Parts: sequence; C-alpha cells; structure tokens
Amino acid sequence: MARVIVVLRTLGRAYRRDQRSLESVVGNNFFVVTALVMQNAGGFIYLLIGLVLLFPLSTDPLRKIPASRLALWPLEAGERRLLRVLSPWLNPVSWAVAGLAVWAIRGRVTFGLWAAVAGLAVAAFLLSNLPFTPGPAIWLHVPRFPGRLNQLIRKNLREMVSTLDFYCALLLSLSGLTCRAAGLHLPSDAFVAMTVLVVLALSSYAQCLFGLDGVGGLARYRLLPLRGWEILAAKDAAFLAVAIPLTLPLAPLAGIGAALAAIAMGHAPTVGRPRPQSRWRFSTGAGVIFGLLHAALIAMAATSVYFSSRLFLLPCLAAWAASTWYYGRRLEAPAAG
Amino acid sequence: MVSWCATHCDAVISCRNLVRRYVDFVAVNRITLDVAKGAVCVFLGPNGAGKSTTLRMLTGLLPPTSGSITVCGLDVTANPLELKRRIGVLPEDLGLFDDLTVDEHLLLTGAVYGLDKHETRSRADQLLHALSLEEGRRTFAGACSHGMRKKTAFAMALLPSPRALFLDEPFEAIDPVTSKIMRDLLMAAARRGVTVFLTSHILSVVEQIATQVVMIRKGKIVWNSPPGDLPKSLEQHYFDLVETPVVEDLKWLGSS
Repeated sequence: MARVIVVLRTLGRAYRRDQRSLESVVGNNFFVVTALVMQNAGGFIYLLIGLVLLFPLSTDPLRKIPASRLALWPLEAGERRLLRVLSPWLNPVSWAVAGLAVWAIRGRVTFGLWAAVAGLAVAAFLLSNLPFTPGPAIWLHVPRFPGRLNQLIRKNLREMVSTLDFYCALLLSLSGLTCRAAGLHLPSDAFVAMTVLVVLALSSYAQCLFGLDGVGGLARYRLLPLRGWEILAAKDAAFLAVAIPLTLPLAPLAGIGAALAAIAMGHAPTVGRPRPQSRWRFSTGAGVIFGLLHAALIAMAATSVYFSSRLFLLPCLAAWAASTWYYGRRLEAPAAG
Repeated sequence: MVSWCATHCDAVISCRNLVRRYVDFVAVNRITLDVAKGAVCVFLGPNGAGKSTTLRMLTGLLPPTSGSITVCGLDVTANPLELKRRIGVLPEDLGLFDDLTVDEHLLLTGAVYGLDKHETRSRADQLLHALSLEEGRRTFAGACSHGMRKKTAFAMALLPSPRALFLDEPFEAIDPVTSKIMRDLLMAAARRGVTVFLTSHILSVVEQIATQVVMIRKGKIVWNSPPGDLPKSLEQHYFDLVETPVVEDLKWLGSS
C-alpha cells in the first residue's frame, strides 16, 4: 500500500502540473467572448461551455506514467489493481461526476443530465487511453499547395486541425450550412454573426501560430534559408485555408476580412510572446484584454465588409501585409538565449 | 596548450576571440579557431563545456557576446540568410516537425534551398536508400524512433550539398551500421572539399574520421591539433586535459 501511495502522490503532482485545459479555455477568445456576450442566455450557455470543457479535462491520470516505466516498477498485481482503481480519483472531474450523482439522487438535477455528463467523462477517459498519433490514412492526404512553402503549409494545416478550436469552428460552420441547406429563412445579419463566431473560434490559434511546432520545429525555422515573412505567410496560408472554407456557407467576404484581421493582429503575440500549446486542447491566447481587443477587431472587419463596402477588404489586406512584413523582420532577429 | 590553425588563408570556418556570456556565466571564453576546406574538425569536451554553444554561434543561431565569426567567407552575423544557404546543420534537438513525414522533410529542404523537384526527388531517394529510411519514409517525425529522427535530420543537412556541415553529436544513439554509413558519407564529402565541424563524445569514432581535434574545457580551448600530433592516445589525452574519470566504489552495489 505504501508504494501505491507514493506513486499516487507523484502522479497527482505530475497531473496538476500538466493540467492546462482549464487555463486554455479561460484564455480562449471564443469562450471569453461567448461568456460575456451571451450572459442573457443564462445558465444554459455556461452548462454547454462546461460540457465542452469537460471533454479535454477527463483524461486518465495514469497516462502520465510512461507505460514502459510502469511495467518495470516492482509492484504486485494487487497494487497495480489498486492503482488502476484509485488513480482516476486524482482527476477532479471524477469527483464532479460523483457529486452530480448525489444531486441526481436528491432530485436537484435530472438523471438525464447526470448521464450526459458522466457519459462524456467516461468517453473522454477511455479515448485518452487510445494511441492518438496521426495516422497516415487521414493526415497524409492534406492538400498540396503551389510554391516552395508547400510542405510548411501542409504541416501547419495538420497542426491546426489537431486543436479543438478547429472542431468548434467546424460545428458552427456546419450549423450554418444546415440552415442554408434546409432553406431556413434566417435574417442575413445572423450569418454575419455566425461568421464572426467561426473566426473567433479560430482566433486564439492565430495568437500562437508556433505553439505546436515544439522546440525542434522552432530550431528548424531558424536554420531554413527563408525570410521571416515567408515563415509567417506559410502559417497564415494554412489559417486562411481553414477559415475561408468554414465561412463559405455563411458570409464569405466578411469571413475573409475577419480572418485577415485575426492573423494580422495575431502576429504580435505569435512572434512577441510565443506560448507552447497542446494538441487536442483549445488554444490559449495572449490574455483576456488582448483577446477582447482581438475579438473587437475581428467583428469590426467582418461587419465593415458586410454592411458597408467590400472595399474594406483592402485595408484588411494592407494590415495583414504590413503585419507580416514587420513581424517577419522581428522573427529574423537572432535569439538572445 | 598547443595552438594550431589549419592553413589560415584557406579557412572555411574561422572565429576570433569568440565569447558568449549568460549574465554571470561565461559559456564560451575567447575561442579562436580555424578549420580548413575539406577538414573534419571534431570538437570534444564534457557536457556543459561550451561545444553546442560554439556550434550554435558558428551557424548563426546564437549571437556571440563578442568576437567575430566567418563561415564560407561570410560574416555570420551580417549575412545570416546567405549563410543558411551555404551550410548544412544537424542541430542538437534535430529540428524536426512532428507533423511532417520523413519524406516530406526532405522535399521541404529541397524546395527551400532552391533545388528543382526532379533533383530534390532524386537526392531524397538516394539519401533514403543510403540511410535505410525507405521503409519509414511515410512515417511522421513525431512517430519515428530517435535513430530515424537523427537520420532524417542528417539527410536534411546533406541534401542541399552544402559547403560546410555542422553536426551536433551525429553518432550518438545511432546503430553501428548507420554510424558507419554516416562516417563514410562525411569522409567522402570532406574529400570533395566539404568542411565538416562536429561535436561528439564517441572517441573511437572521432579517431577514425578527424583531421583536426579540438578539445574544450569550461568554455576554453585546451587543445587544437591534427590527430597525428597528439602525444598519446586520444582517450588518454582527453582524460588528462579535459576530464579525469572519477572512480567511486559503490560498496552497496550487489549487496542485496
């Protein structure tokens, strides 16, 4: 038993250090803006956010110990079983599900809600134990792009679709597409709002474009004979290759304007304050204040293009070009450390 | 200390009074060094002696606190982009993207170094074959073994046919056959005039390929000569000059 307690204690420490999911949602533009703007929707919207949050939080803590190391430790079969049973309780979600079960018994929440939450937590727990490396069948078939930046853009696309931001934007886009396909007569303004939401969902990623490159990837960028603006342009091309198709069923030109504004402003934290990111999590942006300003700029760009004039695409394009040139220069500066 | 510089007028890599300081720690302390065209210069020293810091400065990845560096006739700090076009580097952390396959890494290298598609494909195929990477060519770097990752990074360094190669511990964690292949490729490149600068801890390999041995201790060069000028075996000289092995009798070992 003493050995199991030692392992659980160490595991708890490692799990707490790596628990970035909550932080990532707090620093994510989409969640911050949704929570602020949709206060009138009451508890329901927060419940939805909570459910989305639950998914990345509900991982198996025992994953923190490399399987080969765990197998080498001289633990008895009984101790291993005990570890298996006790380790999920290091995850606060397990306690939340248990607490919700007590509420369900006392009639304070419905059994249906409890079952939905518990089901999601269990599904995420089981999925986190599956080997989730990119498989050739899916990831090799990323489209090719013309020019010498082809492979970099393809890599950036793969990185982008391994964040939850993309899937959040995809759901919003699909709901807009469904409305169009079903012939629902929504006011045209609704599609602009949806467009802003789609770009907002992707905008935190625009603030940390190098977040998934890792230490090795960043070192390689410094070795490649490319100008800084080319490296940023490859990042931006991947962003636009995702954002533009997702806004096509909504308000496409407004989507292009909003996406250009998102990456133009996103270059500042991308280059100035790079933050490492985790796959299958929501991207963590540069902070709430920057996030709100970023969201305001995105909304302004989309609404200007949609309601005023398509010519507003030109200042968006000019801002993106200026930002790419300026931050490209900064990217070329030699590292200090 | 022996001061030896390979034919000064023909130096491809040259640095003078190179210093790198971190707040109150001097990682590299007034290093002066020349490496001739076609030489295989091996930089030896214990962990933390300043080998990788020197290599990063020579390749333009890290600005020196003071001193001057010329590589392939270019001032490293003034011409970083042109320098990158002329050198091949195997960095300490290998510099691979998890989301690109082995093959895609080589295609990327050919494209950004300005090779046409046909030439890139041809060189990539030869390198994949030579380094036994053909079967894993469609494996993502994030899913590769360490050996495969190192071979991929090595192939990326060779593919553009650079004038100078900088390799940080290329032979570590590599199987003996690949190590032999890499040695042969490097020696062949050196015979054709490519200058090779590498760091290593594997003295047996160093003895086979080095034409210039440089030893560094606490950021300072303590030896610089062709291997033939060493007064004793490389290992013994290294132990004497750089780091003496500590022999500790762990009495508890084998007691249970």
